[in-house]
This record gives sequence, C-alpha cells and structure tokens, in this order.
Amino acid sequence: MMTDQTLISGAPRVKLKWYQVIDPITKLLLILDMTLLSFASTNLLLQAGLILVATLLLLFSKLSSTTFKALGFSLFLIGTMLIIQGLFYSRNQTVLFSVLGVSFYKEGLIYATTLGCRVLVIILTSGFFMVTTSISENAAYLELSGLSYKTVYVLMSVCYILPEMMRNMRKIQQAQKVRGTNPQKTLIQKLKSVLPVLIPLVIKTLDQSMARSISLQLRGFDNPNRTVRTSQRVYRLSRTLHIGLTGLAILLIGWKIWSKINGL
Amino acid sequence: MKTEPIHRTSMWKFKLSAATMTLIPAAVGINYVAKALAEGLKLPVWLGSLGTFLASMLAGPVAGAISGFINNVIYGLTLSPISTVYAITSIGIGIAVGILHANGWFSSARRVFISAIIIAIVSAVISTPLNVIFWGGQTGIAWGDSLFAVMVANHAPVWLASFTDEFVLDILDKVCVAYLAFFIYRQLPQRMVHFFRDDK
Amino acid sequence: MVEDKRIVIENLTTRYPGTEQPQLRQINAEVHTGQVVGIIGNSHSGKSTLCRVLAGVIPKIVSAEIEGDWHMLGRRVSDGWRAYNAMTGVVLQNPAGQLSGLADTVADEIAFDLINQGMAEGLIQKRVVEVATQMGLIEQLNLRPESLSGGQIQRLAIATAIAANPAVLIMDDPTSEMDPLGRRQFFQWLAQVKETNVFIVTSEIDDLCEVGDVVWVLNEGQMVAQGRPGEVFNHLAADWQIPAPTIQQLAQKMDWHLADGRYPVNDAELKEARYVHN
Repeated sequence: MMTDQTLISGAPRVKLKWYQVIDPITKLLLILDMTLLSFASTNLLLQAGLILVATLLLLFSKLSSTTFKALGFSLFLIGTMLIIQGLFYSRNQTVLFSVLGVSFYKEGLIYATTLGCRVLVIILTSGFFMVTTSISENAAYLELSGLSYKTVYVLMSVCYILPEMMRNMRKIQQAQKVRGTNPQKTLIQKLKSVLPVLIPLVIKTLDQSMARSISLQLRGFDNPNRTVRTSQRVYRLSRTLHIGLTGLAILLIGWKIWSKINGL
Repeated sequence: MKTEPIHRTSMWKFKLSAATMTLIPAAVGINYVAKALAEGLKLPVWLGSLGTFLASMLAGPVAGAISGFINNVIYGLTLSPISTVYAITSIGIGIAVGILHANGWFSSARRVFISAIIIAIVSAVISTPLNVIFWGGQTGIAWGDSLFAVMVANHAPVWLASFTDEFVLDILDKVCVAYLAFFIYRQLPQRMVHFFRDDK
Repeated sequence: MVEDKRIVIENLTTRYPGTEQPQLRQINAEVHTGQVVGIIGNSHSGKSTLCRVLAGVIPKIVSAEIEGDWHMLGRRVSDGWRAYNAMTGVVLQNPAGQLSGLADTVADEIAFDLINQGMAEGLIQKRVVEVATQMGLIEQLNLRPESLSGGQIQRLAIATAIAANPAVLIMDDPTSEMDPLGRRQFFQWLAQVKETNVFIVTSEIDDLCEVGDVVWVLNEGQMVAQGRPGEVFNHLAADWQIPAPTIQQLAQKMDWHLADGRYPVNDAELKEARYVHN
C-alpha cells in the first residue's frame, strides 16, 4: 500500500502505477458491469471470457492473500454445489457420467457451473478493487464527492476497527491460554470457552466507542470550517468512464428485463 | 432494572449522530469477531449478528439495520463477495430486533426466547430466496445442507428444502445470539445506555 | 472591560441520570490564569466527572443534571460551545479512545484537530512537527498509531490536545501507561508550560508537588481541601486515603521542618528546611 510521503517533504513524489490513476468509482462501476454481464447471460464461453479478463486485471496489478482466501472459500462451496446439483437438480435428464453407480446429470452440472462462474467473476473483480485502492484514498475521495464526514467516518473506520478488534481478541485469547484450558469437545464446553473472551471484548469495544464519540466531538469533527485535504492524485478520464460504465450497466439491466418479459 | 417506555414513533427518528457514528463501526467489529470466534471453535452457529442486536437495542432499529448492512459489505470485501447480497437479511434482523426491543420484548428471559424465534423466521424468510438464486438453495453449513440434500432427493420442492435448511440453522443461531445480547445489555452501565439512546 | 482571567466554580452539583447520589456536591473553587492545578482523591471521588464538567463534556455531550455555575476565562458553555471548546485541550482517561480511529499516520492524527479548525496546510505541517518535538514523537510521525506502545499513545493523545494551543489544558491521568522515564519527561515538560491553565488528575503526588501551584482534594464528590501543595499536604485527613509526598515523609522522620512549622513537600522546600534546621 502506498503512503503519502508528503507530510514531511511537502511535495508529492511518487510514481503512479496504471491502476492508481483510475478513480474508485470507476473501479466499482467496472465490478458492477462485469457482474451484470455475467448474470445476464447463460453462455458458458462468455463466462469463461469474463473470468479471464478479471484474472488478467488481478495479475497485472497485485496479488494478495485475501483474494486467495476468498477464492479458496468459494471454490470449496462451488465444489459442493457441483455435487449436489449434479445429483439432485430438478431438471436433470441426461446422464453425463457415472461414478460408483451414482449418476451425475448434465443439466445440474451446467447449472452449478454457471452459478460458480458468476461467483468467480464477482470475487475476482472485487479482489482487484480491494487490492488497488487504499482506505484513506477512498475516504478522501468520498468526502470530496460531498458525503458528510460522519458518513465517511462510519464507512471507513470499520476498516480500521476490524484489525484492532482482532488484535484485542488475540490478546484476550492468549491470556486465557496461559490459564490453561482443556480441549473442548461438547457444545457446552465450547460455549464456556468462548464467553469469557467474547463478553469482555464486547463491553470494552462499546466502552471505547463511547469514549471515541466524546473525543471526536471535543476535537471538533463537526466544525463547519473543516476543509478536506485535496487529493494528491490525479485521475484520468473520470467523467468519461463514469458515464460510459453507468450507461453500460443500464443497458445490461434493460436487456435482462426485456428478455425476461419475452420469456427467453 | 427499571426500564422506561419508549414511544413508538421515536424509534424511527434517526439522525446519524456523533454517538451512532462510533457505535455502528463498533457493532460491525463485534459482528465480525463473534463470527470469527464461532468459526474458530467450529460452533454450529454463526453468532455474526451479535453486534447488530446490540446496536438495535442501544440506538434503535435503523442503527442496527445499518450495522448489519455494512457488516455484510465487509464480509463481501474480505471473505466472499456473495455475502453482500445477504445484507438484506441483516437489515431485516436489525429492524426486527429494534422493534421488539422498543416494545419490551427483550425485558425477560422468557420473552427473549419468543423474540429469537420471530427474528429467526424473519431471517429465514429473507435468506431463502437469496440462497436459491445464488447457491441453488444451499446455505454452506454442512449439517444444514445435508438436510437439504436429503429433502431434495425425496423430491421435495427446492423452496421448501431450502427454507427448512435455513430455518433450522437460524433458530439455533438466533436463540444463542439473543440470549448473549440480552445478557450483555444488562451488564452495560446506565451511563452508556443513556448516552446511545438519548443522543438522537 | 477587563478580561476575566479566572476560572471559577460555584456550588457545582452534578448527578448522572439513573443514579441516586450526585457525583459532585457543592464544589466551590477559584483559580487564576497560568496556574497548574492538581486534582487528587481516591477512586469514585468524582475527579473524572469534574474534568468532564470543566471540559464541557457535561452537559454538552453527556447528559447529567447540573446545579450551580462555572465559567472559564469569562466564558460559559451556554455562551457558545465552539468558543468554549476552542479554549480547551482535553486528555481523558483511556488514551486509545481519544484517538480518532481514522488516521493513517501519527502526523495525521495530530493534524486532525487543526484540519477541523480550517488551518492552512503549510501551517499545519509546521505545527505538527513542533508538537511532536515537544512530546518526543518525531521519530514516529510516519508510523501507524496502532503500532505505538501504551506510553507513546498517551503522548500522542497529549500532543493532539496541545496542537491547537489551548488556553486551558484538562488532563485526566495522562501518565497512567508511561514508564518512569516517560513520566519524568512529561512532568519536566509540564514545568515549562507557560500561560496555560492546567488541570491534571494524577496520583503522582511527588511530581505534583514540584510542578503544581494549587492542589484540589476530592473525597466522595466534595472538595475537602484546596490550596498550595505545602498547605494541603501538611493537613491531610486520614479518611481521604491520600499518601503524603515522599519528601514530606522523609522530613517528618528526620524532623526537618520549615520556619513556620510545616514540613517541606518538594525539593526547594526541602533545601530550605535543611537550612532552617541548621
């Protein structure tokens, strides 16, 4: 993640990569368009094409562990979908292959594959967004676009609070481990080990949110004199891309509705 | 513990105040951590709505709904983007908890049980269509999906099988979360309850 | 019109909603410009509540029933919150809760208050460096706030409070997580702060005697003693549960007292007492 070196040196001096000159809204619209395209069609070749495009985008920007985790989680679920739908889909007729006497049907497998492709498209494109934008960039952009600081705060502080809470949770868990715990088997035992960690953590978090609220008010976050620091980045072709991609989204939605009405 | 009656109209009056502005991220964090703990210990429940419950109880149904919505967006960004659509379910849960709490349905242990069932129904009703559209009716939890598979193998309609799958999981989950939230709420100092409630 | 340079509290009683007993009872006090006031007392004596009232948190942010009156440098909260708030820099307990939770770097965190006031960018950068130097955080300016140690976070909290150059500093236990070296540096810094009223809740009695001009003792919500450290500590009542300063205890053992019979409470007085003794 790129950090602004401007605070001490006073002048922006970073070389921008290709994905950093595209503003966040354009990226989000891109996700929306590709998802809509994926949902609007059942053509497997088109789905494969979309997945390829999304993967290329990712490969040319940055690979991150979060994307891999998301992929792993979904691939597993897609695998179970293939099995269940391949066996039990209501419109199953033609047998594709049999394993140990159990038949897998073509219709169910195609259905599951289509669903799976859609999931992959969404994951890959969102991965691209996550990996190429930083939290503070999004926050500054949102505030510049006119959202109130309160709204921006709510949305963005979540990104900071999650790692903080996971850290607190690990701290408490370690303290618990020191006291010595036996491996839990039954549901009741597991609940008993979760509660002494969860409940203090929750109360501490709520307490801290009250302290933070008081502090923010004391520090004048709602002062009308507040001016957002102007973004250090220059975005290319923002307006054109916004209009173009939104238009595409409307087209796709329209096409889907039209084809539904015509019973396609 | 003396509870004051909350007027019906006032619970819907929502302004993003300085208090809710920090409460909502905290609620999202609580949701996330509760879910992480449940997954880590391989509990058969999600627990991922604990923060939503608390936000609704402290600041009203709209606050809970927003917390739930943002929560799913975060899941979508960090785990699996499909989770984002389930934001609708979270919003429903937030609103349900808020309405029930404002009308005193979280005041005693017995009432909490009934509230939990109502919330489970709301959650299942909203989630089932989403499950069918995106995952062919499955929920992603092993023992629920095996129930689903059994029902479909016996030619039960997909909707019914999916609803049963979801509802059974929801009942267990929401009862646990409701009692947790009930217990925690009672431990909170009066100062805090007043801070989040009055600041509208 | 002569500008009022005092801080005055008259008959202040405060009660939180839902509690039976008032947290503060009939507090009366007056402080002059530039004085450092130490607030001491055992737990539940109302110290934090008093800080909140002085900061304006009560009644503006947290609701509570208030009787009586107080004003700082001629201003009341009711006269205008913005103006009152601009006068004060506040450090509350729990330093992590003080931070905005939305800053990428330590420098951003310090700049937060200044951005809110609409200060120009160039001035902000200069001021951030100034403040960081005072608090010994220059090396940490580009780090994330989460990576700081407990003591550093407290120094950061203090830095954010002094960034806007307030006329009144209100600090509730600002050294609780610092190591002894950090604490010493803090009180050395406090000693050279000029033209600012400082209210500090602390249990560092010895440091308070070196640096403080006035001491307020709270017990069960009431102000049971106020005055110069030398006077207050020589007349401690046992049920207040406040330890005497180390120097005073030493002097009592050695029977070194000042000309007026009091025992010394800080370095300067100790030397004087030694002189008298001889």
